[in-house]
Amino acid sequence: MILRRLLLFFPLVLGMCLVAFFIMKLAPGDPTLIFFDPHLSPKDLELIRHNLGLDRPVYIQFFYWLKEVFHGNLGYSYVTGRPVLDMILERMPATLILTLSSLFVVLFLTFPLGLLSAYKKNSWFDHGVTLFSFIGVSLPTFWVGLMLILLFSLHWDLLPASGYIDPALGDAPFWQQLPSLLSHLVLPLIASVIGDLAGLIRFNRFSVIGILSQDFIKAARARGLSEKRVLFVHAFKNAALPLITILGTALPGLISGAFVVEYIFSWPGMGQLGVAAVFSRDYPILMGLMLFSSILIVLGNLLADVCYMLVDPRIKQ
Amino acid sequence: LDSSTLTLRLGGEPSVLNPVLSTDTSSQAVEGQIFNGLIRINDDLQIEPDLAEKYTISPDGKTYTFFLRKDAVWHDGKPVTAEDVVFTFALILDPHTNTVRRSNYVIGGKPVKVTAIDAHTVTFELNRPYSPFLLRTGMGIVPKHILQGKDVNKAAFNRAPIGSGPYRFVKWESGQHVLLEAFDKSYTPAKTKRILYKIIPDENTALVALKNQDVLMGGIPPQEAPFFDHHEFIQKYQYYDLMYIYMGFNLKNEHFKDLKVRQAIAHAIQKEALVTSVLKGHGKPAFLPMSPLLWAYPQEVKTDPIPFDVEKSKALLKEAGYILNPKTNSLEKNGKPFTFTLITNKGNKEREKTAEIIARSLELLGIKVTIQVMEWSSFLKLVTAPTDPKPFDAVILGWSLDLDPDSTSIWHSAEYPKGFNVVGYSNPEVDRLLEAGCRETDQAKRKAIYGDICIKIAKDCPYVFLYYPESIVGVNKALKGLSKPGPAGLLNRIEHVTISQ
Repeated sequence: MILRRLLLFFPLVLGMCLVAFFIMKLAPGDPTLIFFDPHLSPKDLELIRHNLGLDRPVYIQFFYWLKEVFHGNLGYSYVTGRPVLDMILERMPATLILTLSSLFVVLFLTFPLGLLSAYKKNSWFDHGVTLFSFIGVSLPTFWVGLMLILLFSLHWDLLPASGYIDPALGDAPFWQQLPSLLSHLVLPLIASVIGDLAGLIRFNRFSVIGILSQDFIKAARARGLSEKRVLFVHAFKNAALPLITILGTALPGLISGAFVVEYIFSWPGMGQLGVAAVFSRDYPILMGLMLFSSILIVLGNLLADVCYMLVDPRIKQ
Repeated sequence: LDSSTLTLRLGGEPSVLNPVLSTDTSSQAVEGQIFNGLIRINDDLQIEPDLAEKYTISPDGKTYTFFLRKDAVWHDGKPVTAEDVVFTFALILDPHTNTVRRSNYVIGGKPVKVTAIDAHTVTFELNRPYSPFLLRTGMGIVPKHILQGKDVNKAAFNRAPIGSGPYRFVKWESGQHVLLEAFDKSYTPAKTKRILYKIIPDENTALVALKNQDVLMGGIPPQEAPFFDHHEFIQKYQYYDLMYIYMGFNLKNEHFKDLKVRQAIAHAIQKEALVTSVLKGHGKPAFLPMSPLLWAYPQEVKTDPIPFDVEKSKALLKEAGYILNPKTNSLEKNGKPFTFTLITNKGNKEREKTAEIIARSLELLGIKVTIQVMEWSSFLKLVTAPTDPKPFDAVILGWSLDLDPDSTSIWHSAEYPKGFNVVGYSNPEVDRLLEAGCRETDQAKRKAIYGDICIKIAKDCPYVFLYYPESIVGVNKALKGLSKPGPAGLLNRIEHVTISQ
């Protein structure tokens, strides 16, 4: 079965890129049609359009893109003229640092909180967690981000408001940059954790409640197993199943970055690159990002399925 | 505060640090410190020599001769010569270069001929006199010895530029910062050792950065302005930019074809109220298609030719054949209600609010206005559609203007439907004057021509000229040596800027 899935890998990625390319072209405008400035001449824009090959039919443009991709060339940005791969890769470290640490913190908090909240259903603890989740889900990230900046940076002057690594440490070795990086990471990390955490705790709580009412839990208790064992071994393993799905789908999100958080905190990640590319209609960058994320979408689903089989033997049959 | 580093904010990642290619304000802000043009603009918006120590214009207005200064060197130590100037303009005129500036140097259908007479003299030959040309020689000059034979669109130079300006490029970390360092062999040596541009996209974060002294300068939104009136270490500056905001009528629209209807709408809009409520008083009403900062502005026009006057407005609509239907409380002509859609672009709160206030004022007259706020590209698709008539009724927009008063691209009938004459304005008299204004080389005569153009256009009322918005900038008080507040910015003479402890 895994073999069949692997065979499907290429056609799937290709199909996603094809659809993405045409949808992208459906959006009005192109890199030259976003200027509205009386100092510019429509003739110049037409010439640029011709130079970039934008006057050719869309399927031909897609074909050229695809051909170059098979040669390992993702093309050049229309805006900067730089290789797409360079522009994507230089954004990767900042993106991964933020998304991976956020994912790690979210999982680290979700499991115990969701589990305990479900176990102590309707207790003060559960109500507290529920209240927190609802508030967390309802607060818009940009507001949370600004509040964090106002409090921690402007008011108390504890942490830097924005940026990534202190420019003064530009040439220093990584271990010297690390403290600066970490202090810049705290606020964006909190901002991105709050929203994700709240939703996931609710999800986890519900699935654990469902599991705790099942017969095998009753059976485990009847066999005289300790509550700890019931909760952290029997229930935990089953509650992990749906989370695998979530993690599988979260994989592409890891590289696509979080635009709002990056924007507010001037974090030099992929989200900013992608959104800027959308507004400037920088097709090569958009397709490069699309290629990366479609590979990760397919890969994420595949990995989730494999993990399912490892965790839950029933699925193998 | 570090007195050797001037930290400034960039609102976005620069695209390319090459004056031939760049189109975004972030790139241009940085380029301004790295590159020099033949001429430059001083604080009073007058032309003064830069790379050229002087220039002459032949009596027939067709030949411009520039004499370069001999002490200008590139950041790699090589001298700046006339060959570099010739190369720069050849590069712009090359059809393979993806530049939006090509047409600036094609006058009367013919590319300008640029010739190096000797190492330090260069001439521009035009095939007809064209006064707006002089300002266009302020274009940043790029080094021939680095860029020759390279594909400029993809050149590594665009990310590590070499210029001749007071600052040389040091480092650019994507999405983080751009670092420049004073160039000691510059003919205008800078006093502050470094400039660090921090890329901070969010306006609120940038405001916090200003208050934290993370950056030493930054824009202030109008509603925040009062908080900076007596700030302990931030000085507030206010000045006008060369721009105006307007509401444009599609002149091919069945209602707006009629001058009386356009005038009626103009009479119904209270511009002072827009300035007070939308701009919080940081602006002033406009009534001519030009910025009052320009030398060509007709100062003799003191009052709005179409002032706020609702009674006049009602009378004009009546004359135009619109009758108020008492049942629906709406204006009708030949049994059809007077309705139209007013479009503007998303992301500009001031324009959105302006649209709402205008819609409300017109509703009181019985005109139903639907406001549509559109994403930029979708918006442009309507406004710049190359069709006659264009698929919109009325639009709220702004023009940022050149230092030269020529506005052929906005008002000449040949710029419609393709071009920036988006409303379809056509007045043979104005066409003739626009052409005459470009041909005329005498500034006093040009002033008379452009005054005439402004008054004629205002009379035809193709736009309701709304207001001139004011820029509000906060500057850390440690910053000294700023230039006079104005469209040229506060850092027009970057070499004079120092930071006190």
